[in-house]
Amino acid sequence: MGTTASQLGKDLLSEYQELTFLTKQEILLAHKRFSELLSKDERNLPNTRVSMERILTLPELKSNPFRERICHVFSTSDQKNGSLSFEDFLDLLSAFSDSATLEIKSHYAFRIFDFDDDGTLDCGDLEKLVNCLTGETDDTRLTTDEMRQLINNILEESDIDKDGTVNLSEFQHVISRSPDFVSSFKIVL
Amino acid sequence: MEPQRQNSSYHGDQQSLRLRQVSSPASNQNHPHFNWNPGPEEDEVDGSETQQDLRTLGLPMGLKRAVRQVQQMKIPVVSSSDSWKLKRTKTLRTIKARGREVLSFLTLWKKTLQKIGGNFGGGVKSYFLFLRFLVVLNFFSFLLIGGFILIPSIVLTSVDTQLVNSTGQEECLEYDPNPQGLVLFYDYLLDLLSGTGFMEYSFLFYGYYSMKDSSYSLPLAYLLTAVFYFAFCLICIIVRMGTAARVTVATGGGAVGNYSSIVFTGWDYGCLGDRATKLKQNNIRYQLQVDLEEERLKQQAAALTASQKLLLYSLRVSMFFVAVGFIAAALYGIFVATEFSQGRSGDEGILGLVFEYLPSIIITAGNFVVPLLCDQIASVEKYPPTVTIILALLRAVVLRLAGLIVLLSTLWSQITCNGQTTSGECQLCQYDHKNYPCWESRIGQEMYKLTLFDLLINMATLVLAEFPRRLLVDSWSNKLTQWVGRQEFVVPANVLGLVYGQTVVWTGTLFCPLLPLINTIKFIVLFYCKKLTLFQNCRPALKTFRSTTSNFFFLLVLLLGLGIATMVMIYSVAQIHPSMACGPFRSLPNIWSIVPNSFYSLSDVTQEFLFFIGSQAFSIPLFTLSCVVMCYIIALASVYGKSVALLRAQLKAEGKDKQFLVKQYEKLRQQLQMPEQSGGL
Repeated sequence: MGTTASQLGKDLLSEYQELTFLTKQEILLAHKRFSELLSKDERNLPNTRVSMERILTLPELKSNPFRERICHVFSTSDQKNGSLSFEDFLDLLSAFSDSATLEIKSHYAFRIFDFDDDGTLDCGDLEKLVNCLTGETDDTRLTTDEMRQLINNILEESDIDKDGTVNLSEFQHVISRSPDFVSSFKIVL
Repeated sequence: MEPQRQNSSYHGDQQSLRLRQVSSPASNQNHPHFNWNPGPEEDEVDGSETQQDLRTLGLPMGLKRAVRQVQQMKIPVVSSSDSWKLKRTKTLRTIKARGREVLSFLTLWKKTLQKIGGNFGGGVKSYFLFLRFLVVLNFFSFLLIGGFILIPSIVLTSVDTQLVNSTGQEECLEYDPNPQGLVLFYDYLLDLLSGTGFMEYSFLFYGYYSMKDSSYSLPLAYLLTAVFYFAFCLICIIVRMGTAARVTVATGGGAVGNYSSIVFTGWDYGCLGDRATKLKQNNIRYQLQVDLEEERLKQQAAALTASQKLLLYSLRVSMFFVAVGFIAAALYGIFVATEFSQGRSGDEGILGLVFEYLPSIIITAGNFVVPLLCDQIASVEKYPPTVTIILALLRAVVLRLAGLIVLLSTLWSQITCNGQTTSGECQLCQYDHKNYPCWESRIGQEMYKLTLFDLLINMATLVLAEFPRRLLVDSWSNKLTQWVGRQEFVVPANVLGLVYGQTVVWTGTLFCPLLPLINTIKFIVLFYCKKLTLFQNCRPALKTFRSTTSNFFFLLVLLLGLGIATMVMIYSVAQIHPSMACGPFRSLPNIWSIVPNSFYSLSDVTQEFLFFIGSQAFSIPLFTLSCVVMCYIIALASVYGKSVALLRAQLKAEGKDKQFLVKQYEKLRQQLQMPEQSGGL
C-alpha cells in the first residue's frame, strides 16, 4: 500500500492519522509538498522513493546540519542511500511534530546523533555531533584542546555506568532534565 | 526478520512490561525490539491504549501497520460498554488536541518570540517573555479594576443620586481642579503630560470618584478591588516562579549537566535559512567556549597563591564600598531634587514642566550613569561571568527601587508635614491642605508622570541614540567605529526597567485606577520598539548567560517591587487622613475604616461567622493542618530525591555487572577455544 495517484484515499488518510502524530491537515500538506518533489510521470506510480538530494531541497531541511543523518535514519530503502518514500516522510514529520511524545523524540534524536549506527554515542559520535553544532568550516570548529575538554565533561555528566559511551537510557535521562527539548525538536511544514 | 523475532520473543517474557513503554534498542541492535507475542497480562481490551502504543513505537510505517494487524487479530469483540468507553476517550483526545490548537493560536506574539529566540538566543528571549507576562498581567488587572470600580462609577454617575454630605472644616473642603479662565492650547499639552488641569478631575484619578448613597458601596469596592489586585498579582508571580523554580531544581541548578544539555538539546530544528543556521551555530559555539573558559578560569583561580588571593579579596572589598558610595551619592541627589521640585511646584510654563519632571530626570540620569561605573568596577573585581551579571543586577536593582522609595518618602513627609499631623500646616485637616487639597490625586499624578516619562525616554533613546549609532557604524568603517561596534542588547538593564515601571504602576494604582490600562498600552508599544531596535540595530551577544536561573531572579526582583508597593499602600490606607475635598473616602478618618463600617451593616449571622473565622478556635487548627501538610510534602520530596539517587547507583552497578559478565564470557570463550586448538594440532 502506498500513495495512489494524486489524491489520498479516505481510509488511507485515517490510517495515517492513527499511526502518526499528524493531524489531517498536516498529512494533506505533507502529501502536497511530497508530490511537488516528484516529476510528472513519477507521480502516478505508487511507492515512489525520492532521492536524498531532492529531499534536501526542502527549505525546512536545506540548512539543517543534521539533514543527511535525518534522511538516513528515516529511510527504509534497501540500498541505504537515504531515499524516502511518502510513508518515510510521514514518519519523519510525525517524529518532529508538535504532539509527538518526549520518548519518541528522544528515541529518534539518539538515532540521528549515532553517526556510526552502533547503538551508543562514543567519542567519535560526540565529536562529529559537536562539529555539526558549531559549524563545519575550519574557523568555526573548536580547538582540539577545547574539544577534548568538552567531550570529557559530557561523558562525566551523562555517562552513568562509566563505560565510556552514552547509551539510550543515559541520553534520555539528560533529555528529561531539559525543558526546551520538546519545543526545539520540531519541524513544521 | 526471523532471528530478530525469535530474539524478541525470548526477551519478551522478561522485558514485556518495559517494552510497552519505550522501545529501546539493545546495545548491539540498530532497530528496536517489538514484542510480537505479548504475554497474557498484556491482553488489554482498551483500544485507545493500543493506539497510543502504535504511535509511540519508533518503527517505520510498514512495521507499525503489521503490528496493528497482529493486535487487531488478538482483540476479541468489544462489548457495547467498552465501545462506548473507546468513543469517549477518542472524543476527549480530539477535544484536547483542538483545545491545544486554539490555545497556541491565542498565545500572543508566538511567532515573533520564536524568531527572536532563534536569532538572538535564550537570554534575549527571556526578556521578551517577561515583557509579555507583564502585558497580560496588566491587562487582566485592568479588567478587574474596570469591572468593579470603573463601570459601577460610570453607571452611578449617570443615575442621579444624592451626594452624601461631608462634614469637616470649611477650609479643608476647598478644591477646584478645573482650569480658570482662558486656557491656552499648549496648556492642554502640558496638562496631558502632567495629569493636571482637565485630566485631573476625570476617571483617571482618585479625586473624581465619590461616595454616592446607593446599594453598591463604591468606597468599599474601591478598597477591596485594590487589595484583590495586589493579591492577584502576587499569585500570578508566585505561580510563574514555581514553574521557573521547578525547572531550575529539575535541571540541578543549571550548572550540572550543562554541557550535555547544550550539546544534546541545544539545536533548534526550526531554524530556517542559512543566516539563521549560522547565527545559531555561532551562538552555540560561543556558549560552549564561554563555559569552557569559565571552567578554566575557575581552575586557575583555585590555583592562586595565598598573597594573590589576599590582594584579590581586599580589592573586592574596596570596590564594594566604592559601589555603595556611588549608589548613596545618587540617592542623595534624588532626595535633593524631589525637595526642590516640590518647593517650586507652582511655577508656570516650560520651566515649570522641567521642575515638575526634575525627580524623574535625576532618577533616569542616575540609573544610566551608575551602572556604567559599576561595570568598570566589575572589570576590576574579576568574578566569574555569571556572578558578575547577578552582582550588576543587584546593584542596579538597589539603585532603581531605592530611588523610587526616596521619591515616595519625600512626598509623604511633605503631605503629612514630616509625620507631625497636629502642627503647622497640617493642624486643620491633618494633612497639608494648602499645598495638597487632594493629595491622593497628586500622588497619582506623580506616578502617571513617571510612567509616561519612562516611555518617552525609551522611545527617545531609540531614535536619538540607537539608530544613529547603527548608521554611523555601518557607513563609516574606521577604527573608532569598529571598536565601538553595533549595540548589544543588554538584558539585565532592560529587565530592571520593566520591574521599575511595574513597581511604579503598583504604587500608583490605588490613586490612579486607570494606570494598569495605560501601562498595558505602554508595554505593548515598548515591545514593538524593542523588537525594532533588536532586529535593526543590535548584534547577537558574544557572551550569553544562563536564562533558567536568571528567569527566577527576574521574578524575585519583581516580587521585591510588589512588596515595596504593598508597604506603600498599607501605609497610605492605614495612616494618612484622606482628603476631605475629594475622593470616595472623604468623610472617614482613614481609608481602612470603611471596612469596619460596612462590616457592622452586614447581617448578624454573617458577622458571627466572620468573627469565628478570625478567632483562635479556627485559626489554630488551620495552622496545625497546614504544618502537617507541609511536613508531608517535605517528606515526599526527600523520598523522591533518595529514590533518584538509588536508581542512579543501581544503573552504575548494572553497568559494572555487564562489564564483569562480558569479561567472564571472553575468558570462557578463550578457555573453550584453547582445548579445541590443542585438539586440532
